[in-house]
Amino acid sequence: MSVFVPVEAAATVAPIKAVYKHLDCLVTGIDGLKKAGFRDIHVMTPFPRHEVEELIYEGEPSPVRWFTLMGGLFGATMAFTMTALMSANWPMIMPGGKPLVSIPPFIVITFEGTILWASMFTFAALLLLCRLPARGLPKEVEDPRFSNDHFGIVVERVGAHNAAQIKSILAHSGAIEVTGGGDTAAHGAHHG
Amino acid sequence: MKGPTYSSVNRDVLAPLFTPNAAYMGAITAALAAMAWGGYCWALQLVNGLGVAGYRPPVFWGVYITTFVFWVGIGHAGTLISAVLFLTRSRWRTGIYRAAEAMTIFAVMTAALFPAIHVGRAWYAYWLFPYPNQRQLWVNFKSPLMWDVFAVSTYFTVSTVFFFIGLVPDMAAVRDSTRGYTQKLYSVMCLGWRGTDRQWRHYMAAYGFFAALATPLVLSVHSVVSWDFAMAQTPGWHSTIFPPYFVAGAIFSGCAMVITLMLPLTKIFKLEDYIHVWHFEHLAKLCLFTGGILTYAYGTEYFIAWYSDNMYEWGTFVDRVVGNYWWVFATMVFCNCLSPLPWYFKKVRTSYLWLFVISILINVGMWFERYNIIASSLSHSFDPAGWVYYVPTYIEWGIMLGSFGWFFTWFLLFVKIMPSVAIAEVKEMMRPPLKSDEEVAAK
Repeated sequence: MSVFVPVEAAATVAPIKAVYKHLDCLVTGIDGLKKAGFRDIHVMTPFPRHEVEELIYEGEPSPVRWFTLMGGLFGATMAFTMTALMSANWPMIMPGGKPLVSIPPFIVITFEGTILWASMFTFAALLLLCRLPARGLPKEVEDPRFSNDHFGIVVERVGAHNAAQIKSILAHSGAIEVTGGGDTAAHGAHHG
Repeated sequence: MKGPTYSSVNRDVLAPLFTPNAAYMGAITAALAAMAWGGYCWALQLVNGLGVAGYRPPVFWGVYITTFVFWVGIGHAGTLISAVLFLTRSRWRTGIYRAAEAMTIFAVMTAALFPAIHVGRAWYAYWLFPYPNQRQLWVNFKSPLMWDVFAVSTYFTVSTVFFFIGLVPDMAAVRDSTRGYTQKLYSVMCLGWRGTDRQWRHYMAAYGFFAALATPLVLSVHSVVSWDFAMAQTPGWHSTIFPPYFVAGAIFSGCAMVITLMLPLTKIFKLEDYIHVWHFEHLAKLCLFTGGILTYAYGTEYFIAWYSDNMYEWGTFVDRVVGNYWWVFATMVFCNCLSPLPWYFKKVRTSYLWLFVISILINVGMWFERYNIIASSLSHSFDPAGWVYYVPTYIEWGIMLGSFGWFFTWFLLFVKIMPSVAIAEVKEMMRPPLKSDEEVAAK
């Protein structure tokens, strides 16, 4: 099915946007694009859907967990080191033979440090990996319907020669609206 | 089509935002007035010194610490609902968790005022934190009060970030239904959220971790607060059952506060489609469960005091029942142990009126529980020559009232600025529209 396309012909057109009312149609659309080899897509949903994530990322877990782990280790180390060094720096003689650096009471602050820094690293990971505050997204993803009751797909960096095929896949999957990709491709489905 | 649809969720949840009506203005005026009175009382205390409070040796913990513990406790239900019930995938969490989480944050913000009020010279409150200083002096990490500083500040930070993360997709929904400057403002607050597959993927992973990290905080924060007491030798405080006893009490009072806040919210803002009597019933059951633990803990406390054969311990516990503070003890037992019992009947726990009345009784009872622990133990300690009757002054009552004003002001601002039901999560619970469903229906 793949056709060799000369470099000069690989001009890109405006991103293609499809709007869906039904979740199963959205899934068909993503699947169709994936099978045809178009992976440069954004799928907008008003709430998270696991089938969308499964389809696109094929069960590969988000790397957020590594940030959380690093944060937890960092927090635990930092909190314990802080309490120990500060206590040693001001050697207050406590009655009852308590050691300067005593493990049981310091565990409390170590625990709080672990939770605090694991959370902060997780938050940083969220901002970093989701690219928030949002940037670099095509204009087409901005549709008030996507935070309400519609789903959407935006295909980016579409070659002029592919536009017709993409629009055809999206239209056949049951999208209620397919736009973009340049005007010439509007009837492309027939050529495909 | 029956029940809410995706677009009706947006419409119904966003409807109460922004434009205040007369009742709302009345409520916020009352809250601001209470806060102003509290501020005036605090100003008097700052000018004249802690002498204006009813402290008399050896009682130097009173209404301020009671109210501090009360507010920290209130916060716990919010985290329990948002984090623990998220991990256990409880369906009844969805409608109420946003407002419960907001309650947590405002409750902790209220609690955080009290150490500063209590120490008198509030401008030295930063001495609580370890910072490099010319005296080369560090805080004492072996002190439970120090643990509390770390526990409460961690709790506040983590809850706030967790709350903010939950709000991001809903802020985007607000942005998409507003115009002009409001839209620009929400556009900034939602960080330009668009609900793309990439965003949701990492969002859900991070949200899960936040829930997992907040869960141990539910148990740890009030355990640490309880050590403020249990680590001291004072009769009536020095007990190993304090952490579980305090955590159960915190969740008990917090769930009651959620009922107190959410019932009027649901009724006034017509959110009955999303917050049913079913949600309140679950909260009532949670109160019955934790209230049962609490009653058991009260009993155990007395048993340990008697069985230990320690006359100071037993003396304090007897004094709580028959001494100066007998009415505090009686209020506590009535409100916390007896008043929730009618909720065992389905008819009572599904009646809005009884839910509301009993939840308020529990709030009152839980404040008196902390007062009972603090005031009676300190005023009836080891040395009979030091036995006094601590009576709070109007300054202390005024600051306590002010704390309610402060809390309700924040909560009232919240319900007008942020969606008080989690839009995205409510939709997640609904059956998505499927073409195949429609085809089947058409046949």
